[in-house]
Amino acid sequence: MVTPTTTRGTRFTPEQIGFLAAGPGRATEAALARLLDAGLLRVSRDNRVSAVHQSRQGATTAVEARLLNQTRTPVSLKSAVKITSSGTEVRALHQQLLDDGLMQRPRPRNAAWWFLLAMAVVLVAVSFQSPWALVGAASFLLMGIWLRGRKPVTRAGRAALRSATASDRVFAVALYGFTGKVGTQEVGDLFDLPKDVARSIPLKQKKKRRSSARGGASCGAAVASYSSCGSTGCGSSHSHSCGSSGHSCGGGGSSCGGGGGCGGGGGD
Amino acid sequence: MAGIKDLGVGIGWRSEIDLTVERLPGVDFVEVVAENLHIGHLPESVTLLLERGIPVLPHAVSLSLGGAEELDMGRVEHLGAVAEAVGAPMVSDHVCFVRAGGLDSGHLMPVPRTRDALDVLVENVTLAQRNLPVPLALENVAALLEWPDGELSEGEFLAELVERTDCWLLVDVANLYANARNIGTDPERFLDEIPLERLAYVHVAGGVEHGEVYHDTHAHAVLPEVLGVLDELCSRVNPPGVLLERDDNYPSDTEIASELAAIRAVVDKHRG
Repeated sequence: MVTPTTTRGTRFTPEQIGFLAAGPGRATEAALARLLDAGLLRVSRDNRVSAVHQSRQGATTAVEARLLNQTRTPVSLKSAVKITSSGTEVRALHQQLLDDGLMQRPRPRNAAWWFLLAMAVVLVAVSFQSPWALVGAASFLLMGIWLRGRKPVTRAGRAALRSATASDRVFAVALYGFTGKVGTQEVGDLFDLPKDVARSIPLKQKKKRRSSARGGASCGAAVASYSSCGSTGCGSSHSHSCGSSGHSCGGGGSSCGGGGGCGGGGGD
Repeated sequence: MAGIKDLGVGIGWRSEIDLTVERLPGVDFVEVVAENLHIGHLPESVTLLLERGIPVLPHAVSLSLGGAEELDMGRVEHLGAVAEAVGAPMVSDHVCFVRAGGLDSGHLMPVPRTRDALDVLVENVTLAQRNLPVPLALENVAALLEWPDGELSEGEFLAELVERTDCWLLVDVANLYANARNIGTDPERFLDEIPLERLAYVHVAGGVEHGEVYHDTHAHAVLPEVLGVLDELCSRVNPPGVLLERDDNYPSDTEIASELAAIRAVVDKHRG
């Protein structure tokens, strides 16, 4: 028995949600989680992962097929995730998210933007003596607005994230990663993964923390809907189990779980 | 079975399936390949199993007890040290040779079943036993060839080995089936000839047929015919333990659990 691969409240796949939440690595983690959940991958205490079947039997997505192909002989979990994350299949997933308007090419605030801002401030100061300078200030501000940085996840993407809940352990990974937490429960525990194994999965810690701090809205939404995810998923009651393996899906926590990465950031 | 306690049903512990082995229901004991363990650095999984009270039996593959060359005492000492590290009640290796003339065969080679070869084997086994802290059990191998001019059947050969060394026997029913298929050994005659009261435990493994040859791969499912040989053995003696060996191409946890359950069903059928 496996946990459901779709979840109530979202029409998006765990890989899509994972990518929106924290980028290609998280999308790969979501694929890995689905394969572990289905018993198609096996991990060992020495952080190696191997496909249970020699064929790519059981893969439901291109990313999953890539992971299974890569693990026909045991390889380190770290390299499996890293290589798959940079593979064509995950790039295609990204492109699909771009095409669907859930993501956009990020545009960081560069030196030119800061220069425009500084010029606008200077001209505003000058305008106290020469009011015509306000016109220049407004021009620089307009250019600054046009060139302002933008996040990789669009408004639609953020809405998609808010629609996703940790209603099963695969979506828990997509939203928070194997080392994240759902309430007070570590997501890796939902898969009975030893701590060292979960920690061997490569993470972009800086990016994760930043996305946690910025992603309050989606995090709140995820936890709120998580706590009411119904009778067959991980219920708000502590006694409900999550899928076949009887893992409770957390304690109905009301916090975002320290450093779990609550989405909204990420990007490439 | 004086000296050998009831082991139950077990599985070969391998690092690739360590978590699987830890979580499988109904694993009464495990076997580790002695050469893969380092004293002082036991795998966390093995330590955990020991803490649960699961017996861990070291199984060696490199003593080359049937070889004409001088026994490598370093390997014997390592096997003994592993046995002490895991508190094993016994250790085992094979009735075979793996080295000759400075070359390593990479396979468990059958020994000629001659009295001269038996003398060599007995000498090596006796020397190994003197340097091991626990009893030694010896396993019949799967052979793809038979040396010419054999003087004894495989069962007679092993019976005389036991008589002269007081060693225990580890009967691999998959090897027995392989030999029946490939070189015409009669499993029933084999079981008639060996001293079953010296049976330490039993190995069961899977294999595959390529053309006319059956390969004891340990990487495929256990054939019903192999369970048939186990059934035949269990009809004669209550084996202290039966262990599933799987060394590659590991199936799902469910499939492994099913194979263990099938083995247990055969054993329990005769225990009534």
